[in-house]
Amino acid sequence: MKLYTRLRPAVVNGLRELQANKVRSLLSMSGIILGVASLVAMVTVVQGMVGNFRQFVDALGGIEKITVTREQLPKEQEHLAELSEGITLRDVERLRRTVPLVENISPEARVGYERLVVEGRETSTYVTGVSADYLPVAKRWVDPGFGRFISDLDGLNMNDVIVLGSAVVPELFSPNQDPIGQVVKLRGRRFTVIGVLNNIEGTGMQIRSANSRSSGNSWRWRNSGAFIPVLTAQVKFLGNDRLSGLGLRIRNPLQLQDAVEQTERTLLTAHKGLRDFAISTNEQVLEDFRKTEVAFKLSLGGVAGISLFVGGIGIMNVMLASINERIREIGVRKAVGARGSDLFLQFLAEAAVISVVGGIIGLVVSMGIVALMNYILMQALPTGAVATLDWAIMAQGLGFSVVVGLVAGVYPALRAASLDPIEALRHE
Amino acid sequence: MTPLIAIRGLRKTYLMGDENIHALAGVDLDFQAGEFVAILGPSGSGKSTLMHILGFMDTPSEGSIVFDGREVAVLAPDLRAWYRSNRVGFVFQSFNLLPRLTVEENVALPLLYREGSVPAANLIAARAALERVGMSHRLDHLPSQLSGGERQRVAIARAIVGSPSIIFADEPTGNLDVKNIDRILDLLGSLIKEGITVVLVTHDLSVAEKAHRVISMRAGLVHEDRSR
Repeated sequence: MKLYTRLRPAVVNGLRELQANKVRSLLSMSGIILGVASLVAMVTVVQGMVGNFRQFVDALGGIEKITVTREQLPKEQEHLAELSEGITLRDVERLRRTVPLVENISPEARVGYERLVVEGRETSTYVTGVSADYLPVAKRWVDPGFGRFISDLDGLNMNDVIVLGSAVVPELFSPNQDPIGQVVKLRGRRFTVIGVLNNIEGTGMQIRSANSRSSGNSWRWRNSGAFIPVLTAQVKFLGNDRLSGLGLRIRNPLQLQDAVEQTERTLLTAHKGLRDFAISTNEQVLEDFRKTEVAFKLSLGGVAGISLFVGGIGIMNVMLASINERIREIGVRKAVGARGSDLFLQFLAEAAVISVVGGIIGLVVSMGIVALMNYILMQALPTGAVATLDWAIMAQGLGFSVVVGLVAGVYPALRAASLDPIEALRHE
Repeated sequence: MTPLIAIRGLRKTYLMGDENIHALAGVDLDFQAGEFVAILGPSGSGKSTLMHILGFMDTPSEGSIVFDGREVAVLAPDLRAWYRSNRVGFVFQSFNLLPRLTVEENVALPLLYREGSVPAANLIAARAALERVGMSHRLDHLPSQLSGGERQRVAIARAIVGSPSIIFADEPTGNLDVKNIDRILDLLGSLIKEGITVVLVTHDLSVAEKAHRVISMRAGLVHEDRSR
């Protein structure tokens, strides 16, 4: 309470000085403005990118997914190409038996970019042979009322059934038509539509309407495609037992490394030592991204730090100049009873006022920067990184500026407090 | 009658280069409550130093000052600030009003630094003081909008706002024209009716003559002390 009664006039006074020297104050604030703006914008954009990237990785199956793909034999094994069987359903069985860390294994046999025909309409999309395990591995599902996914029985019976991606449906059927149960022709063969995969929309940060034009670009590739039983694909289209790859979902993401090693050992043994496969995880993608994130934070943080430091010097400079101009005022205030501590508070409050006002302007500027970055990132990234300003970050930015202002104000305020009243009153 | 201020053997010595300057070389004086005193002397006579020490802006090198029954020659800076805010008022030759504050705020300034200061009450006191000096019609003006005489009246209002025991006026008429000189001196003289001791510091004999007691100083000593 007592401090408040001493602080209030000091703050009022600070605002008045600010108003009286608008241009000078604005110039002295520029460092703080730049510092706060870059700090807040940097943290916001980096956080937005990280958040979006997590979702992007999640859309790829999350970090608990291991992908096995067919690969050319390395040079030293090229002469053994005859012996390579490629990845087959036998590998799926082997992995099920020998790698208990793996929960689901999704064999995938790519048929190709195919034409799907319904009487009068047609569209082209990627057709892949998969098993029931595709859903948990890809983190997809079939919404209630949209039929069902391919079952193990469909696989065993080599049924001619097909599950469509949600983006394919409007290409083939009119909006009031239920696609379930309809017949779609694929290379002349009649497939019955048994389900439609869930529609992936937007991100957690910005939900995008499925109808809006922008939703098409970013997520279309996840919502397109058509799926048939893997054996149907192999027997009726591909004519061999090779798979294009496997998707593995492990029980515990912490055991990712072990699972990768076990998978590699099992496959290497089964393939008689032939390296005709490659194993990748999203962890590596995420790791690369983390490095980028750190680099971003360091460089932009450095810019923000230097700006705030320069901002502090700017404030100190303008405060010293202001005190030099107001030596007589300091003398008068002391003569009428101000203590050193009163003047210390007054000038510290003035520095704080400059930094707070500068900080607020900086926050406004940061909003502009974030909006601009969003615009640029939307064009550049597949997921369209969307950053939103967070109150906590803005509060931190403002807090930083206040701390800088206070630190920068201490020395000038001490000088004002220690001036001798007689000397100060004599000052011309 | 116990004097408001009793000073004995007051000395102030400055070191300037290698030389000791004796600004005050042993001064003994008493000031009564409600006295109108002029301290007269050429520059360098020690009158300003005496005023600064009695006004709690400076401390003596030697000697005793009893103010209102208390020994106050050597006080901590914050305690001297307390005396300046509660017991003493200053009027300066160049007015020393703060340019960015209104008349009212300038006058309320000494109250700002008091314990338990309440802004609203301070402004009421400031208006009363401005009324006393005939400046209540200019509350919201800035000092730059006032004439010299008006500024000095505002300065006097600032000096009396805290009901001090003593007011030091340092060449208060030095920047004023003849008409205003009399007005300001009359105003200062009238304050003694309220029990305030007024000390006029000047080198101008005609100004000093307005006071009831004239103390002439020379070379840091009281040269003459006569009452009328």
